[in-house]
Amino acid sequence: MRYGDNQPFEHLKLPITWGVMILVAAICVVAALLFLGDRRGGLDAAAYGNRAGFDRAAAKSNNLLSTPAHFVSDRTNGIEDYFFAVSENRVLKQKIVELERYRDEYRKARELNRRYEVLLNLRTEPEVESVSARSVSVSRGPFNNNRLIDAGSSRGLAFGNPVINEHGLVGRVVGVSPDVSRVLMVTDVVSRVPVMVARTDARAMMVGDGGGFPRLEFVRGGPDVLKKGDQILTSGDGGIFPRGLPVGEARRGVDGVWRVDLYTNRGPVDLVKVMKFKDFSQLPRAEEVLRTPLVTDVLPPPPPTAAATTHSASVSSATVSASGAAVSSAASSASPVTVARPRPTPVSSPAVQTPRPQPVPAPEAPASASSASVSGG
Amino acid sequence: MLAPQRRPRSSSTRSMTPSASRRARLYKALFENRTPRRGSGGIVGPQDWLLYPALLAVLATLVLATDLPLPFGLDLPEPVWPVALAFAWPLIRPSFIAPVLLGLMGLFLDYFWGAPLGFYVIGLMAVHAATLIIRSYIVGQDTWVVIGAYTLAVLLFFTLGVIMTTLDSGVVPRLISVFEQMLATWCLVVVVLILLERFLNSDVRFN
Repeated sequence: MRYGDNQPFEHLKLPITWGVMILVAAICVVAALLFLGDRRGGLDAAAYGNRAGFDRAAAKSNNLLSTPAHFVSDRTNGIEDYFFAVSENRVLKQKIVELERYRDEYRKARELNRRYEVLLNLRTEPEVESVSARSVSVSRGPFNNNRLIDAGSSRGLAFGNPVINEHGLVGRVVGVSPDVSRVLMVTDVVSRVPVMVARTDARAMMVGDGGGFPRLEFVRGGPDVLKKGDQILTSGDGGIFPRGLPVGEARRGVDGVWRVDLYTNRGPVDLVKVMKFKDFSQLPRAEEVLRTPLVTDVLPPPPPTAAATTHSASVSSATVSASGAAVSSAASSASPVTVARPRPTPVSSPAVQTPRPQPVPAPEAPASASSASVSGG
Repeated sequence: MLAPQRRPRSSSTRSMTPSASRRARLYKALFENRTPRRGSGGIVGPQDWLLYPALLAVLATLVLATDLPLPFGLDLPEPVWPVALAFAWPLIRPSFIAPVLLGLMGLFLDYFWGAPLGFYVIGLMAVHAATLIIRSYIVGQDTWVVIGAYTLAVLLFFTLGVIMTTLDSGVVPRLISVFEQMLATWCLVVVVLILLERFLNSDVRFN
């Protein structure tokens, strides 16, 4: 008896190709549901919550691989430093002489700036703590730009912390586990960073597209607000990033779109610094900060022109007549602009800490004038 | 006494230059002298052509994701290794295990590279399904046909990736970067050819 003669279903062949296709279709349906249900684009902490355990394991394995490479690299650099120490020392001495002059200038400017801040009662941002970490794994593809760094919630990192290196802004923390954090690079397709042009203070949105040169979109202002080589900084709008972090320089791409040549492209993103900045809630005593008068209110007003005074008076008169007899005629004829503005808090000495603004008591007589100025302006 | 007669050299050996001879020996060592790896009982088991290549692909992905600064500002390449398997496996033979393994590898890539869940699973499944459909037209053809089909498979994968990324984030990814990763993935055609050479005819039961 030949092999297979005792098998009654010998000629009934399983349509394996169709079976596999059905299985593939089922997996595709599950994957599509996962894809539609993923909230990665929302950039909230819950979206990355289920990835913490995986990131922890992946970083461990990558740390094992990167540690020997870094060891060899450090030894190589050590040998190079040994052989070029003399010439490097000569160059560094020249640089020190040059930088000392800048240091003195910087100290003077910083002191002057501090005095102005105190004098004008300006709102300044507090110092932000930071944590150093090493990048252990990276995905550099066009669809995802992420990094895993070897610092996590055990060192105080939290969702949303900005990440920088010695050149500029790298990204922000989007996933945290006790030992490892995932950093969303500014080049990722879901990254949006509010930025400003340092020269013109124009606002824009930096949109990542998976390449090394993110796009600048929604540039506010005229056609001259952006020039090639303009420095791009974080604007601090929205409270995601602190204001003034260096990002890159403006370039026009071959497609005519303004792009940012990132400072972080100038070297490898190996060691990074995570700033423990969360949002505006970190500002001290928010209720007092919000009572701080605007700089335009503190500065002396421009001298009113005759035409403006006439217009202001006529508008005020119209408002008064519309509101009835409650407002006296003195209010309409007076120059209410100077009366209504709050005075800056007097400062006795520059060394004094930033004075907390006191609630300015409303003057008795000009109360109506204040309302007149508001309606007139 | 007659001098010992020399065996006539074959025409092919006689006409070969030393470098060509080395290349021929290398080819022979790679593809001809090696017998296919056999599992227990002389059968090529799923672990031989499915599990071990999958593990190697995961390992290669992990190694190439290491953050190593290279000279001249270069980075390590980041090919999508499972695409080569998604193309080669259905050509070797249809299997129920292959799509499951591909799904797991896709999920691994989603987690490891921080993509939305299901992103790489859908792309790999599309390549797998497309190759399964055209399997009968590819198997047994010349190597260039296989390479051409693999090029189309890579193109399909990255086209789907661009479409899904655009749908997900509202931003079209930079096409130069897409092309770079596509090129790195296309270079894995060598892996595809090696897999086909080793496993396509190794199990006579299926053929």
